[in-house]
Amino acid sequence: MQPPKPSPVIEGSPQAGWIKSLRNPTGVGVLFAFYILMLIVFSILSPFFFSPQNFISITTNMAYIGLMAGTQTLLIIAGGLDMSVASVAGISGVVLSLLLGVGFNIWVAAGVSLLLGAFIGYLNSISVTRIRINPLIATLGMLNIVEGLALVMTGGLTRPVSDDGFSFLGSGRVLGIPMPVILMVISFVALYWLLSTTRFGRFVYATGGNPDASRLAGVPVNGVLTRLFVLSGVSGALSGLILVAMLGASAPTAASSNLLTVIASVILGGTSLAGGRGSVWGTLLAVLILGTLNNGLVLLNVSSFWQSVTQGVVLLLAVGLDQLRTKVLGD
Amino acid sequence: MIAANQVNSSRLEMKDIKKSFSGVSVLQGVDLELGVGEVLALLGQNGAGKSTLVKILGGDYARDAGVIALDGVEVHFSSPRSAIGQGVRILPQELSVMPEMTIAENILIGDLPATFNLGISKLDRAAMDEKAKSLLAELGLEVNPRALLKTLAVSEQRIVEIARAISSQAKVLVMDEPTAALTETEVNRLFEIIRRLKSRGVSIIYISHRMDEIFEISDRVLVLRDGKVTGRFETARVSREEVFAAMLGDAVEGLYPENLAIIGKQVLEVSQFNLEKKLVDLSLDVRQGEIVGVFGLIGSGIELLGKALFGALGNKPTGEVKLEGQLFKPRNPEDAIRYGVGYIAAERKREGILAELSVRENTTLPFLQRFNRGWSISVPEEEQYVSRWIKQLSIRTRGSSQKLRYLSGGNQQKVVLARWLADGVKLLIMEEPTRGVDVGARKEIYAALRDLSNSGLAILMISSDVEEVANLSNRIVVLDRGRVSARFERGVSTKELMHAAAQTIPSH
Repeated sequence: MQPPKPSPVIEGSPQAGWIKSLRNPTGVGVLFAFYILMLIVFSILSPFFFSPQNFISITTNMAYIGLMAGTQTLLIIAGGLDMSVASVAGISGVVLSLLLGVGFNIWVAAGVSLLLGAFIGYLNSISVTRIRINPLIATLGMLNIVEGLALVMTGGLTRPVSDDGFSFLGSGRVLGIPMPVILMVISFVALYWLLSTTRFGRFVYATGGNPDASRLAGVPVNGVLTRLFVLSGVSGALSGLILVAMLGASAPTAASSNLLTVIASVILGGTSLAGGRGSVWGTLLAVLILGTLNNGLVLLNVSSFWQSVTQGVVLLLAVGLDQLRTKVLGD
Repeated sequence: MIAANQVNSSRLEMKDIKKSFSGVSVLQGVDLELGVGEVLALLGQNGAGKSTLVKILGGDYARDAGVIALDGVEVHFSSPRSAIGQGVRILPQELSVMPEMTIAENILIGDLPATFNLGISKLDRAAMDEKAKSLLAELGLEVNPRALLKTLAVSEQRIVEIARAISSQAKVLVMDEPTAALTETEVNRLFEIIRRLKSRGVSIIYISHRMDEIFEISDRVLVLRDGKVTGRFETARVSREEVFAAMLGDAVEGLYPENLAIIGKQVLEVSQFNLEKKLVDLSLDVRQGEIVGVFGLIGSGIELLGKALFGALGNKPTGEVKLEGQLFKPRNPEDAIRYGVGYIAAERKREGILAELSVRENTTLPFLQRFNRGWSISVPEEEQYVSRWIKQLSIRTRGSSQKLRYLSGGNQQKVVLARWLADGVKLLIMEEPTRGVDVGARKEIYAALRDLSNSGLAILMISSDVEEVANLSNRIVVLDRGRVSARFERGVSTKELMHAAAQTIPSH
């Protein structure tokens, strides 16, 4: 080898590595600023808004959505997409209640529901990685199948589920914090750890960034996607169980209307639909923002019809501004 | 001021063209003249400014300074559309055709003939057919104009593209590497067409890296280096060496390292290797300390060989491959990597780099498990490992956390190379090691390859760049239409290699 050329500058210390691995930090910063601004505005407009109780109520209402959005973030970073996740939440509650009806122990039934979620996720992964159906189409198909089956199994009816131990999952508190929130936070911390410090996490970014190049560099691209689809199915099923525990009943389409909120949170959180870029913290912030927005509008007595409009506007604004920022400043 | 008599003979005149991108000067006052019916070869290394100059001419970029005159009249092209309107057509390297439309539609898309009935316009298919047919006949292609474009061979699609250009009365045609995907016979057909266009008075700017073609088809040669004109020649009165010197400057000196190889034991042995009739009964071997070059033109099968050996084509290939005497039959790339084989694909952007990941993440990807400490990756250890390679390969980057897309082509290539320089890699299969790489980085990559090979890595270099194969390899295998057509030792001339690669090559 020739004598080394003037050595390039190595920036920062190695210790700063994990901080740098918070991807797209500017995007998350903008979101955070937006969140704070929203808190201030609602606090001024409504005397009931700024209180610990209200904050807890917001996070509790969003927790099961956050659970789905967290795993969806990883899946979208890897270049996938799971439109069936909310319908899986529906069917997992239905299966739980049906199994209870035939005398199963509730925890066994919950276990079966989670396995079913995993299985649906696995079927999705086969459609995408083996048969090579576009993820949007594959999981849209699955959404219809699963939702239809849930309706068939129940005749479209809501079924009560009452079990004190189980309802603790939905309404119990530990140190004053509701169980759904605890589960969501645990899930986000775990996903962050997985994504930012493990080999698997690196593979997730690589797979979404350039699947062909990744495969040639030895990344098991299909294996990564399969695991993420299964994880997404499990997170859907878990959300469904939490929802049942919160409501004390299962309904076949209980979570269906949340699908778009899940996807919107991931996108609003700065994850690129094209894959290869994104962070779970952005998604968590986005979940909080969308939850807070709905809550604030309720407190201001704005018709619920308008809430959907506002949510759409916020999504377009946030993503549009981010595009503009990238265009003007580069990143 | 331009003298009147010059204006008359000149079709296109570009004077003192300047262009910078974010402060970096890419064109520093370039003059280009093109006569009526003249073929001007535009030459230069990657990054010399060729494509910027052409994009300014085609209305893609606005110039910072300078004058463009067409037939003596100053013109301003604000968009590709306005350039086409005034008779300047750029044919990009990649075909820009619509495969699902008919041949006639592809040719006449800019100006579809229509009939009017009760104010409703209707495509005049008969007129289209006739017009398309006569345009194609002029170029020597006889096909049904109503057939879908995708039914044509790539070379014929290229002809359709040219027909489209001349249908709009193009005065100046820019052809950017038009022969990249063509076989030797097809190239001759293209040249025939270029001669016909010349005789019609169409002026052509011909961009290519292939010296043979340039000396065959061009009237004059214009050489760019670092945004300046470094050579203006009449093709008939210049030698290749002079053109090279203008292109490369001093860098041509010592571009290729000395060969001090000490040959060791055999690492790779391939025999009776077949791939769906695209590779036929191939056999070759690579020993430690050797760079074995595989040379062939595009379409000869060289573009499949690397992937086939690396397991990226699954179990399609048949035959016997041995790695250090053991049977080597990887089911997929992961498998091949476990055996200690690395692979660098020709298409760096598509199959090599992860543009959104950092230099560090790109480098450690295939052997990431080595940095596992417990459940997590040790970033400091990664950092340490990568910075060693950044130094050793002189990778110019702001740091190991710089995203790869901000690096130049040459530095990206070095990162992709560093990926495979881990302990335990015995064989590196490298395709097109210096495609899209500037001459400085090229020299560094050659030096690094030689150095690696001297330290015991076996390298199989698959390339369509005849010069690098001739100058860097210890031994050379030439492929022609999927078969080995010749084997050479170091010291073979590029001409011999070209002849072996294309036995159909006509002698001129």
